[in-house]
Amino acid sequence: MEVRERRQLTLMLAPYVLGLVALVLVPAVVTIALSVTEYDLIQPARWVGLANFRALASDEIFRIALLNSVVFALVAAPLRLLAALGLALLLHRRVRGTGSARAAAVLPTVVPDVAYGLLWLWLFNPLYGPVNLVLRLGGQGGLTVFGRTPPQWLTDPNDARAAIVLMSLFTIGEGFVLLLVTRLGLPNELYELAAMEDATGWDVFRRITLPLMAPVAVLLLLRDTILSLQLNFVPALIVTDGGPPPYATTYLPLFVYRNGFEYLRYGYAAAATLLMLVLTVGLLLAQWVVLRRWRRGWGG
Amino acid sequence: MSGLRLRGVGKDFGAVAALRGLDLDIADGELLAVLGPSGSGKSTLLRVIAGLDPVSGGSVHIGDRDVTGLAPGRRNVSMVFQTYALFPHLTVLENVSFGLEVRDVPRDAAREKATAAAELVGCGHLLGRRPAQLSGGERQRVALARAIVREPDVFLLDEPLSNLDAELRVQMRAELAGLHRSVRTTMVYVTHDQAEALVLGDRIAVLRGGSLEQVGTPDELWSAPANRFVARFVGTPAMNLLPADGPLRLDGLPSGRPLEIGVRPDALQLSVDSADTRDGAPGEVTLVERVGADAHVHVRLESYDVVARVPADDRPHAGDRVTVGVRRQDVHLFAATTGRRVPWR
Repeated sequence: MEVRERRQLTLMLAPYVLGLVALVLVPAVVTIALSVTEYDLIQPARWVGLANFRALASDEIFRIALLNSVVFALVAAPLRLLAALGLALLLHRRVRGTGSARAAAVLPTVVPDVAYGLLWLWLFNPLYGPVNLVLRLGGQGGLTVFGRTPPQWLTDPNDARAAIVLMSLFTIGEGFVLLLVTRLGLPNELYELAAMEDATGWDVFRRITLPLMAPVAVLLLLRDTILSLQLNFVPALIVTDGGPPPYATTYLPLFVYRNGFEYLRYGYAAAATLLMLVLTVGLLLAQWVVLRRWRRGWGG
Repeated sequence: MSGLRLRGVGKDFGAVAALRGLDLDIADGELLAVLGPSGSGKSTLLRVIAGLDPVSGGSVHIGDRDVTGLAPGRRNVSMVFQTYALFPHLTVLENVSFGLEVRDVPRDAAREKATAAAELVGCGHLLGRRPAQLSGGERQRVALARAIVREPDVFLLDEPLSNLDAELRVQMRAELAGLHRSVRTTMVYVTHDQAEALVLGDRIAVLRGGSLEQVGTPDELWSAPANRFVARFVGTPAMNLLPADGPLRLDGLPSGRPLEIGVRPDALQLSVDSADTRDGAPGEVTLVERVGADAHVHVRLESYDVVARVPADDRPHAGDRVTVGVRRQDVHLFAATTGRRVPWR
């Protein structure tokens, strides 16, 4: 019986283990191995030791990409969490139209990345893109109503970075669903009790909703940080093409992609990938420390 | 402190009427137990008083204030929920002082009052714990402390003891009675447990299908139930009901309409001695249930079943032939058509 059970378990685990080995472990080992070589798919790989890492340290573009990635993660991950939390709290009540609104909140997340990128390329178009058409409403001479030039999404470095962040704020379906379910799971009596105590909306949010949703929100934030180091690859490739100069939206994934698949510097790209991994772990640890201190602060 | 006055209070959920035009006066400092079966509208009544559900008609007054249109937080009532509704992330102290702190009572003062309230209901030693670390009875006490700390005008309790085991329920029942004596706040206590209602209530309101069947003291409910429903609902086992022209005949009943007689199980007299048939009806014991010191004896009387409660030591056995008798003063009379009590004697 036990042997049979074990065999069954092995059988059921096999697809996952195979996938893990073939798609994660082997590539990881290959990446580590490649990172200490020079390899261009044509010549045989050549051992170079830590030369790739030394070159990365003095590579101006890598430094820009690294900074871009860190800034993006620090800006986008909290904003994405806030947006998902806001939508979840807005749409947890069952009133007319809630169902459609919930579907609308999830929909952008299920659009294929490339289609999503192309859509935004049109939305951001400086001449006929709807985003700037709306921003120019009420203004004169192509300016906004405040007399300012509307953002140059595709040509100004900071505006382009903002554009990539903006794009990421609409693909929050998973976080939204998770937080919505968490909110729906909170017992209604707690809110009725708060109502009987004449608690204000802010008190209810601060003293009840937020602390009770915090465990899920924190988990989501950590996961989203990992994700945000990767999810800007397609937008940066399709919408801003890593620019405008100087490499304003070249993030680590795009940097790795360019070096690997365009310049055929596989060893160099592998080394950058490893550093990206280290960066991810570092960011998670930093958040973990901050959040633990914060939770201890309000006695959670 | 103030009394509570309901006038024509109705509550509809869509096409379903949960409360139908209730009139109810609760005196200042009185404990009114609201008793009724599931779905009778007890909890809805409480929620309407609390303001958690708006009324569909009628008015609610607390003292001389008309609170019908006020938000729950403006009525100065507090509530103990059946599930206690303790905040899982807050300590006992924080739970109890919550209502004060959100009303901008300075933290130190709030915590001081919360501590005093917790001491009063016997959870003063638990202040630093969280709800997950408390037993059912302890949670109950915390919920009570939280309800009394604000010194509300009216105190609402929604089946507060239903989640406790039998022994603890009896103990907490006595403590609740003591608490009511010491704080003397108007209380509305919803329960489906008649023992709780009879022990705790200064008066009892019996609710069925959203209407009041009777409001009276426990004595009144026991000795003069207003109708068949109240008669059957209060008392365990339930009162026996038989047609007046059935097996148990009594002289001098009012005539002119069909009547039912009601006899509580402990008022039925059983005699196994077959010679003793001078006053009573012959029947056969079908089932005997021993319940502690008592036994519930099911007797077949012609085509009717009655239950008698006798001391367990004197109980007959299934299959015994018995004579069932009753004293006139123990008999309640109801109109067979309406179920209303018919005064007699």
